[in-house]
Formats: sequence, C-alpha cells, structure tokens
Amino acid sequence: MNASAPVTTPAAPSRRAADQFIIEASGLGKTYGSHCALQDVTVQVPPGTIGLLGPNGAGKSTFIKCLLNLETPTTGSAKVLGVDIRARNRASREKVGYSPELDCQIAAMAGCEYVTYCGQLSGMPFRKARQRTHEILDLVGMGQERYRLVDTYSTGMKQRVKLAQALVHDPEIVFLDEPTNGLDPSGREHILQLIGSLWKDLGISVVMCSHLLRDIERVCDRVMIIGHGRLLEHDSIAGLKSRHRRIVEIAPAAETERFQTVLTQAGFAVVKLSNGKLRVESASDSIEWVLELMRAHNLPPAEIVSNPDALHELFIKSISADHG
Amino acid sequence: MDSSLDLSRWREVPRGVAYRRWSIVSTGLRQLLRTRFFKTLLSAAWGGGFMIAVGGFVFSQSLADGGWLQNLATRMGPRAEAVFTVVTGLVAMFPDIVVHGVFTLIFWAHSFLGLWLSLLALTVVVPQLITRDRGSNALIVYLSRPLTSTDYLLGKLGIIVGVLALVWTGPLIFGWLLSMLFATDRDFIVYSFSPLLRALAFNGLSLVVLASLALGVSALGRNSRITTVVWMGLWLMMGVISTPPHAPDWFKRASFTHDLSEVRQEIFRLDSALSAAAAQLPLLDQRFVGNLAAAGKRAEATDFNGALLGLSIFVAASSFVFFRRLRPE
Repeated sequence: MNASAPVTTPAAPSRRAADQFIIEASGLGKTYGSHCALQDVTVQVPPGTIGLLGPNGAGKSTFIKCLLNLETPTTGSAKVLGVDIRARNRASREKVGYSPELDCQIAAMAGCEYVTYCGQLSGMPFRKARQRTHEILDLVGMGQERYRLVDTYSTGMKQRVKLAQALVHDPEIVFLDEPTNGLDPSGREHILQLIGSLWKDLGISVVMCSHLLRDIERVCDRVMIIGHGRLLEHDSIAGLKSRHRRIVEIAPAAETERFQTVLTQAGFAVVKLSNGKLRVESASDSIEWVLELMRAHNLPPAEIVSNPDALHELFIKSISADHG
Repeated sequence: MDSSLDLSRWREVPRGVAYRRWSIVSTGLRQLLRTRFFKTLLSAAWGGGFMIAVGGFVFSQSLADGGWLQNLATRMGPRAEAVFTVVTGLVAMFPDIVVHGVFTLIFWAHSFLGLWLSLLALTVVVPQLITRDRGSNALIVYLSRPLTSTDYLLGKLGIIVGVLALVWTGPLIFGWLLSMLFATDRDFIVYSFSPLLRALAFNGLSLVVLASLALGVSALGRNSRITTVVWMGLWLMMGVISTPPHAPDWFKRASFTHDLSEVRQEIFRLDSALSAAAAQLPLLDQRFVGNLAAAGKRAEATDFNGALLGLSIFVAASSFVFFRRLRPE
C-alpha cells in the first residue's frame, strides 16, 4: 500500500430519513399489447432493505424496469429518491444502481476495466472510478481474476462483477435482481452478508428481487409481494409475521410420542411431520409456554423453532388469495 | 470470507452528460486501437496522408528557383528541363487553374483511399457498436445509468466519427498542412483551399451516410457474424450488382458506394477543373488538350440527384432501424 495514499475510513452512512420515501409509485401500470404486466401499483417505500417477492412473470422485473425507465410505464407516475422518473429521466438514475438478473457484461473488457467504465458512465472521474472499482471488487470477493476478460468469467464471478458495477458510483439505492443466482454456498453467504450490510453500514437502500424466500427473510426488513402485476402485500417482515398464524416447530431429542400427547392434552393442535418434528399452532410468538410444559412434564430436550417458513406461508397465502 | 465494508465514499457531484458520452467514445476507440488490424489500417491511412504531403511538396517545388526539382530536371536532360520550365510557367501564370486542378486531383484520389479504408474499418467497428451490446444485454448497463438512448447513440456515433477522423479526415488535413508548410508560394495555400473544403464536404457527407448505415446495420441483430455479413453484403454485393454500365439508374442507386461515387464527382467538380485546364491553358499539344477535355467529360456526375435520393433513403431506413431497436431486451 502506498504510504501517501489517502486512508479510507468508513464514512458515517448518510441515511435518508424514514419519512423520505425511496420509491413512490402512483397507479403505475405497464401493458404489452393485451397483456397487463403491471397494474395500478401504488406504494410508498421507506428506506431500508426491501425484498421483492412474486412468482415467475408476476411483474417484479417490470416494476423495477419501470422505475429505472428501462420500460415506459403505460399509466401512472413514480418517483425514485424523490425524483420524477418521467420528468427528470437522467437525474432519476444518478444515485441508483441496478444489477439485472441476466448477464450484462460488455465484451472484450477486463473485470476492473468494466466496473471503472460503469463508474464513468455514472459521471465519476476516471481516477475516482478506478479507485472505487478496486475497493468494490475486493468487497465482492474478487481477487486477481478482475484482470481477466469478463467473457471468461464463471456464473458466480459474473454475478459478483454485476453487483460491483451496481455499487461503484456509491448509489443511494440499488436494485438487485436475483443477486445470488449461480453462486456457490460460501459465495452466496458472502454476498448476502454484504447486501445485509449495505443499509446497516453504508445507508444504501436495497431492493432485492429473489425467489429464495430464506434469502429475503435473512437480509430484508420489508417485503413487497407482487402477483399478476398487482401489489399484494407491502409491510415490514415483523408486521407480516404478526399477521400470520403462529407456528412452533419442535424436534424432540427423544420421546416424541410423549411430547405429542402432552401438547395435545394441553389443548394445542399438533401435527407430526414426516421428518419426525412436531408442528404446533401457538397463540403467541413467545416459546415460553413450550419450555413451561417441558419443565412441568419433565420432557427431554428439544430444538424449538418459532414461526419457521412464515414468509413462505405468507407468500403462498397471498398468491392463493390473488388467484381467488 | 469477511465482508468488511471498509469503503471510501463518493459524494461528489457527478460529471455532466457530455463527459458520460465522451466516456463511451473514448472507451470504444481505445478498445479498437488495441487490435492489430486497426493499427495496420491506421498506418495505411496516415501513409496516404503522407503521400498527399509528398505530392503537394513536389508540386510546390516547381516554383522554387534553384530547387531540387529544377536540379533534377537539369540532370535529366534538355527535354525534362523544357517540361519543367513549361510547368513552372503555367503554375506562375495560371495558379487558379493549375494549383486548384492539381490539388483537386490529389484530394479526389485520396477520397478513394479514405472511403475504402473507412469502409474496411467499419467492417470491424459495426459489430462492436450496438450488436455486441444487444447480444450481451449490455444495453441495460448503459440505460440503467443516467444516460438516455439518445446519449448512447451519440456515444456510438462518436466512435464512428472518431474512426473516420483517424482514417480519413485526419490524414487529409495532416497531408495538406504538411505540404503547405513547405510551399514556396502563397498561391499554393490560396488555390488549394477550395479543393480542401470540397474534400472535407465529401468527407462530412460520407460520414453522415456511413454513420447512419453503420448504426442501422449494427442495430439489426444480436449476432456479430450476421451483422458483419450484412454490412459486407451491403457494401460489396450491392456494389458489384450495380456495376454493369447499362443497368438502370434506379438499380444503381441501390448501392450506397455508387451513390457516394456520384456525389464525389459532383462535389469535387473534377470535370470543371479538367475542362478549364483544357480550355484556358495555352497548351500546344492538341491531343493532350483533347484528352483533358474528354477526361473532364467522363468525370461529370450523371445522376447526382438520384444518388442523393438513394443516400437519403439509406439514411432514413437506417435511422428507422436503430431508433426502433434501441430498447433493452
């Protein structure tokens, strides 16, 4: 490291106030011929890490593309970071990063050259862009392969370089479309940690589109569920879970039958799952009552998980309700 | 792996749209200049520019009393010396016809080389403009940034302008400037300026046509090979098809190279230069005078308006294609 190089300290995150919405959509719609891909989406999204859920073809990507002006909305209006996307087309994307689902590399460019170029396209001077490029590529876990041509990258490396190009210009909001696709388990873990830290440490809001509900549940604090082009749910994860029926899953170390009997006698609806776990409907989020029962009946130790797959159930419920 | 967010922040005001467009141009040109093919092409193009300079310099030496050209003529014998004396006399007495005519001829000849090298360069450039970005979905990378499709197009147009400037306009101006640097008389500057402007006008018109054609062909597909084939088909195949002398005019106009040739003849007005030389210069050899007049007749543009119409259709069709196709997929 050059001794004269400026010391980079993590700056305090310049967070947007919670009442300053990062996305404001009003009646946003998009139709392709007779097919309605997005229908009357009205939403105000506060800063944070937001998960965008929905089945294939639900309109998630169309929603993001409309916000980025990659698709022209047929109806309605929208603001990103308080800037009207139609009235101020370029300005609405100045502090926005986007990592699309599809590979989008520019051929015949090395990884670091590509990310620097993307920084320049966002208005960064070359030197600054090059400096940030190396920092970001370190951050996404790319080593010497950054000097190789992007065309030769594996799926995982392409995913990392896509994330790097979305972050190089220090945006205030990043849209990530399936950011963990094609990553190996350790790479996925690393990227999820990074995405989770973006808002926490840097104040960069994240809108993450994924089919992997566990990923969303892990890094996001809010969720939007889209189905058939309509916004079905928008709430914090905590809020959504509180509306969901409480479930406790118990995996007893031994005496599963006695566990079941005790729970049934205590008046709980118990289902024995094929993996030997007991699924119990609970009245509250707390698991104190289970521990109380185990103490009282001298039951053997057990693994207890509160609200497992709550998001998954909620997602299925929302989609089913939409199907009517 | 540890995901420490020890990261510098960038909170400066982003540079304007002109800088972002320039980034597209400079990066595109840098990528091209790395290839051996392009380096060879540039050597040929600047070699052509150097030839203009040499031609101009040799011609200008005709007025240099005691110059190397005169010495050479003296060494070659009385016949060469007589020719030299006649040429010197003609240049001194009729600079408006001789200097203007010779430079028109030099720039007219260079326009063939310039156009040919530009077409060759564009064969490499065309697949790298829009086709490659469409094929690799890179269009999204551009349009999800503070750039519009117009900015993107202007950036790509800038690459074409840069290429043509490097292989055609640059060598042309360089050659003229270098030859004028050693010119022995002010007349050479004064009377070569109009042919230079005509050469630049043809260069500019060709730039408009070639740029829109290149962008249109590049926007046609997502496969580089197909784009190259279409470009070469449009250039070579149509050029060959329109060659037969008795082919109808409308058929010939289907070749943009034929149309550009017609426009070249009209802009350079080589016919006027040759006819003026035949009519006004006191030449004793009547066969030479007849040849000059006949060459002037042959250099006339025969279908200038039709060629312009053909080129306009090419430009309009190409513009329609690239504006239609320029949406991210």
